[in-house]
Amino acid sequence: MVDELGLKVEPDASEINQYIVVSLGNENYGVDIRYIDNIVRMQSITRVPKSSVYYRGVINLRGEVIAVMSARIKMGLPEDEITGKSRIIILKFESNESIGMLVDEVKQVVTISSENIEKVAHEKNGSQSFISGVGKVDGGLISLLDLSTIIDERREE
Amino acid sequence: MDVSQYLGIFLDESSEHIQTLSDQLMVLEQEPENEDAINEIFRAAHSLKGMAGTMGYKRLQRLTHDTENVFSAVRGGQMKVTSDLIDVLFQALDAIQGYVDTIRDTQDEGDDDNDAIIEQLNKYLSGDSSAPAPKKEETKVESSQSGSDDKALYKKIKFEDAQMDVMKDAISGGNHVYGFTVTIQQGCLLKAARAFLVFKAVEDFGEIVVSNPSSQDIEDEKFENAFSVFAISSEPIDKIMTAMKAVSEIEDVIGEEYNDQMIESNQPDDDIASETHEQAEAEAQTQAAPEPPAAEEQPAAAAAPAAKKQTPAKKAAGKPITSRTIRVDIEKLDVLMNLVSELIIAKNSLVSAANASNLNGASENVAVNEHIEYLESVTTSLHESVMKVRMVPIESAVQKFPRMIRDLEKKLGKKMQLTITGEETELDRTVVDQIGDPLMHLLRNSADHGLEMPDVRAQRGKPETGSIFLNAYQDGNNVIIEVGDDGNGIDVEAVRQKIIDRNYASEEMAAQMTEKEVINVLFDPGFSMAKKVTDLSGRGVGLDVVKSNIEQLGGDVEIKTKLGEGSTFIIRLPLTLAIIQALMVIIGGEKYAIALGNIQTIEDIPVSDVSLVENKEVIQLRGSVIPIIRLSEMLDAESTSEGNSNITIVVVKKGDSLAGLVVDELMGQQEIVIKSLGKYINTSKIISGATILGDGEVALILDSNALF
Repeated sequence: MVDELGLKVEPDASEINQYIVVSLGNENYGVDIRYIDNIVRMQSITRVPKSSVYYRGVINLRGEVIAVMSARIKMGLPEDEITGKSRIIILKFESNESIGMLVDEVKQVVTISSENIEKVAHEKNGSQSFISGVGKVDGGLISLLDLSTIIDERREE
Repeated sequence: MDVSQYLGIFLDESSEHIQTLSDQLMVLEQEPENEDAINEIFRAAHSLKGMAGTMGYKRLQRLTHDTENVFSAVRGGQMKVTSDLIDVLFQALDAIQGYVDTIRDTQDEGDDDNDAIIEQLNKYLSGDSSAPAPKKEETKVESSQSGSDDKALYKKIKFEDAQMDVMKDAISGGNHVYGFTVTIQQGCLLKAARAFLVFKAVEDFGEIVVSNPSSQDIEDEKFENAFSVFAISSEPIDKIMTAMKAVSEIEDVIGEEYNDQMIESNQPDDDIASETHEQAEAEAQTQAAPEPPAAEEQPAAAAAPAAKKQTPAKKAAGKPITSRTIRVDIEKLDVLMNLVSELIIAKNSLVSAANASNLNGASENVAVNEHIEYLESVTTSLHESVMKVRMVPIESAVQKFPRMIRDLEKKLGKKMQLTITGEETELDRTVVDQIGDPLMHLLRNSADHGLEMPDVRAQRGKPETGSIFLNAYQDGNNVIIEVGDDGNGIDVEAVRQKIIDRNYASEEMAAQMTEKEVINVLFDPGFSMAKKVTDLSGRGVGLDVVKSNIEQLGGDVEIKTKLGEGSTFIIRLPLTLAIIQALMVIIGGEKYAIALGNIQTIEDIPVSDVSLVENKEVIQLRGSVIPIIRLSEMLDAESTSEGNSNITIVVVKKGDSLAGLVVDELMGQQEIVIKSLGKYINTSKIISGATILGDGEVALILDSNALF
């Protein structure tokens, strides 16, 4: 099954998935490593007027202009506080165009096998869910970000 | 057998020939007696047929063959050119184009036989006595037989010692050595491809020891119509010769088996004499083809003028290979362009680094600055050169239009004349590739809606034949293409009424709209003026598509119209898409770039000079009233020059209109590389892209045309 962004939604049952753990506000989230092209330090972001509120602007990544969005604002969390730990995660999908996602901190890489991932269905009504599933790691739980809902413009209200 | 490596050449050249046919047919329709046009057509049709045959496209070959027969009859004077005949020929041309398109997409000609068209062509032909094709065959057979002795060119190959040894060894080893001379048909295109196939045929049976000319020369088409080879094989000679003759467009193959003695005695006799003889023979033959009886009676002397006639034609066909131009894949140019962009960014970084170190109090290094200035001038010239390479005349985009207007004339029952000027105006290749469709829409629009029916025109005292024009010319950093007609023009009040009828705007709003605003509604998606839906336009997709296509290319379009006198669409396109000279400005602490080409002047005026007209801020500048736009408001930024006694205004132009953009600060002029913002981020039309500054920061580019 492949959704609009060309992301693989259902990994093979036996597959082992690696996630990068990032923090946003008080919570940790897992980002599928297959879609991560790069992680860069905070740098000067050029504001783009008249764009959606959750876009912080554009940055120069080795000569390419890349849009950067705030995962916090998109997910309805309080606005980012830029610290020395803030990072921009550069995501790349099959469409070959990159987009940056601003997060509070990048913590570690975890490996979660498919049987330890519990799927969360998209909520048809009510609030949008940005979580594709919940993974069990070392006795704890970690929410896995559904990148397609976060990035996709078409799910705008 | 693989001819796919020639497919690209075939497609390019056949497109050229089809275009020639189309152009010349148009000429012929106007002047049925025009001999140059007939000759040109015949030549193109003949080349097309030859190429189709070479590539093995049987159906295409059949159709072009029959088409050529018709032209041949016209040229011979057995047939008169009529409008009906031209119609049929155009149909045939469309079918040929169809084949070529199919080949382009699938590498196969498809299975449409186009029998109906062929039948029609033959109907035109059947009235005539001549059947040129079979006659041609006969003469060829005759001449090749009579000339066969002199044509055994393999006897004149001089062997090197090593080659002689190889052949002698082969004979003692029980193999056979054969010498062959292959004659390719006169007028065969892709001779090298033919020769390649012959080589392959021989190599199926044995090994080629030597060829004359060398295989490299043959590959480069550096040979007349014949070449010779020596081959070693265990197979009998008949079998090999049959295989060689099976290659199409091979006129004749002669050969014999060689023994030791013959190998020794193979010596070139006086080459020059025999070659000229051979050439004369060949020339007599070509002359014989179209007019068989004359050639047979006349000796070589008479063949001379004919030969002269033949030479330019042959040169024209062979020109692309030897001319001083090369075909380059557009992707390679894109790579080059990207590298130049990178270089300019690197140069800008160097400039800003040098400036920074100067500011830091380090004693100004004159030498470094000089070198940087030199580097700047070199990168600028490099950029200009690369841009020039990418520029092509718009001709390729507009050349199909005369034909289209001709077809529309018949379909609509109107009389019209299309004049095109400035076909040589050059634009970036990408733009030229994409401008064709919008222009076609506009021309159809003029033909369908613009021009009146002949009787109406007569009543209005206009010439019965309506005129449609397409003018292209360069204007500073832009190329302007005007498309228009001398027809009815746009009835602004009718449009206003339509706006109300369709609930596009309320009655009061519509009444308040200026003429320009009303006309601009025509460009809005879903708003069409057509009274009746024709298959040409009026489906509500048209002008809005034109506008969005042109905007995608970084251009814009406006209309000038006068009721009863006609309307003109003015398309403005940027000369280059990638790198521009820009003025850098600061608004609310943020840096923005404005294309220098759009800037008229920069003014520093006291705040008190700003006055209000209809609640809009304007200034008076040298007698004209100019609206001013506070960019900080447009860009949701906080102006830092608030409260200053003077304001800085960048006056930009679009066509005849001017506007003043209020900025906080000027930074200076800079060459910038335009980068896309990507598909994710959404913004307003004012921001057309981004660029990377010398210090690595990103600055946004303002499209001043979007502010009007």
